[in-house]
Amino acid sequence: MNIKDIKEFVATIPYNKVSIKDLLAFEKTPRNMLLAVLIVAFLAMFVIGVAIYLKHGHHAYGVTREHPWGLLIAVYIFFVVSSTGLCIVGSLGDVFGFKDYMMISKRAIFGSIVTILAGFAVIAFEIGHPVTMLIYNVLTPGFTSAIWWMGTLYGMYLTFMIIEFVFLLKNDMKMAKYFGLTGLLVGLSAHSNLGSVFGFLNARPISNGVYYPTYFILTAFITGIYLAFIMYGFRYKLKFPENATKMLVNLGKIQGLLLSILIFFVTWKMLTDVYGGMPNRAEVGVHIFESWTFWAEVILAIFIPLFIILKDMGRNVLGMFWASMSGMVGIMFMRYNLVHDTQLKPLQMLKKTEYQLTPEWVHYLPSSTEVMISLGGLGLCLAMYYVGTKVFNLDADEHH
Amino acid sequence: MARYGMALDYKNCINCKACEVACKEENGILMGADKHRIWVGTGEIEGEYPLLSIASNTFYPSQCQHCDDAPCQEVCPTNATYYDENSIVRVDPEKCILCSYCMNACPYDARYVDDRTVTVDKCNFCTDTRLDRGEVTTACQATCPTKVRIFGDLDDPESEISQVLRERESKTLKAHLGTNPKLFYLL
Repeated sequence: MNIKDIKEFVATIPYNKVSIKDLLAFEKTPRNMLLAVLIVAFLAMFVIGVAIYLKHGHHAYGVTREHPWGLLIAVYIFFVVSSTGLCIVGSLGDVFGFKDYMMISKRAIFGSIVTILAGFAVIAFEIGHPVTMLIYNVLTPGFTSAIWWMGTLYGMYLTFMIIEFVFLLKNDMKMAKYFGLTGLLVGLSAHSNLGSVFGFLNARPISNGVYYPTYFILTAFITGIYLAFIMYGFRYKLKFPENATKMLVNLGKIQGLLLSILIFFVTWKMLTDVYGGMPNRAEVGVHIFESWTFWAEVILAIFIPLFIILKDMGRNVLGMFWASMSGMVGIMFMRYNLVHDTQLKPLQMLKKTEYQLTPEWVHYLPSSTEVMISLGGLGLCLAMYYVGTKVFNLDADEHH
Repeated sequence: MARYGMALDYKNCINCKACEVACKEENGILMGADKHRIWVGTGEIEGEYPLLSIASNTFYPSQCQHCDDAPCQEVCPTNATYYDENSIVRVDPEKCILCSYCMNACPYDARYVDDRTVTVDKCNFCTDTRLDRGEVTTACQATCPTKVRIFGDLDDPESEISQVLRERESKTLKAHLGTNPKLFYLL
């Protein structure tokens, strides 16, 4: 393959030429107007938040020596989990060949690209020196570091997702399958490594172990299905055609199974934490159990969607759209809890009355700057997705 | 090449905090409660007057433990945290990306962010200052009025630290984590 072939390959990627006018030419319904205003407001918040961060650095955030990871880490995880989940859902059709799911492949894979880009946009303003990271990740790689593996694999994953998406646009299903499978495997490895970032912490008994690397894969699949319902809800304005309904009912049933497995995961994690009696873990488990954010996670991400699924055996697609909204808010709590709970217990180090009384629990409250950048990430994600729906044909081609 | 460590005769500590001041002065550590490489931990005296527990009135000087198997080094994605030729755990600010993973992974709360370089900083046994000048003591050791700290080469059987560790019992902190600290608390 020479340069001419590559140029021709790129030139023949199907896309629609859109102008700013085209982007603004959406149906002016109250719902659309509200969404448009929210996206613009979120993007403005991103700009303001980043400007404050560039001026004040991490002092603009609520993070401290005792709680070095804050909301932006949680939001980054939220986006990359979404990306991995959409990659799994997208792979059902074009990689594994389940025909009913072929229709969502292109949309889900595009979703996986925009969500991980939003995640990278957020983490770029949490990592103190992102450019240094790019240089020394290559020059002096830390092979024993889960962060190194996670970051490197996610970089590769993004590349494979883009290539898969291009082949999907070109309707080259064979190549899309090869790159999709590779991307899926790399993505799952990356995501599992993200869980191991917490699993390897021997200073933090509440996180240490195999739980997070496996649980992350499960919750990614769950997140991907929630997002599939949300994307299709907007695509069809809640009036789902027959083929979409069939696929979503199936996805709803899979979601019922996954949520049931998640209940086992969470229940046994809590029971072993609380009753296992491990110092520095049991008391943290009790504290988590008594926190409202844990219950927000359980009710919004698990109980409400599972109730909707079980009530009509997954056939209530409209109900699942709204339950998926609830689910995604719950998933955000899930990510926040993961990050915060890991750092709850002070490391003590005998600093009982050093400078100030060591708190029994480490407190953290996200600053307004962190909230603005986080919402900005959501705005970026929605804006990129909206532009994508205009530029590319994200629906399945006719022959599917 | 040496393998530097420190023994702390911590029961002699009188909590004068001269070591904290000396560390800040010698190494140019910024002011502020969060910005410290070393510290003295103090416990509340237990019991109620007049039945107070004198035994509980102990101070605990502490800092980076310079672990032989340092979790902070293992988790660093760019190898910014490294063992130097004297087995001292150090941070190369050129390579540090401030991902803060090491701060989360260190079981001893020994790391903080230096606002000048915007990178993670920690005790390096005065390598950049006193050891570079050819001195053989750290600032905290040299200033201590009750001689709590003994700094030296653990691989040299004739060093004071090796002798004292042969003669007296000692403990390391959070030994169950398998980090193999090179800070020894003399019992």
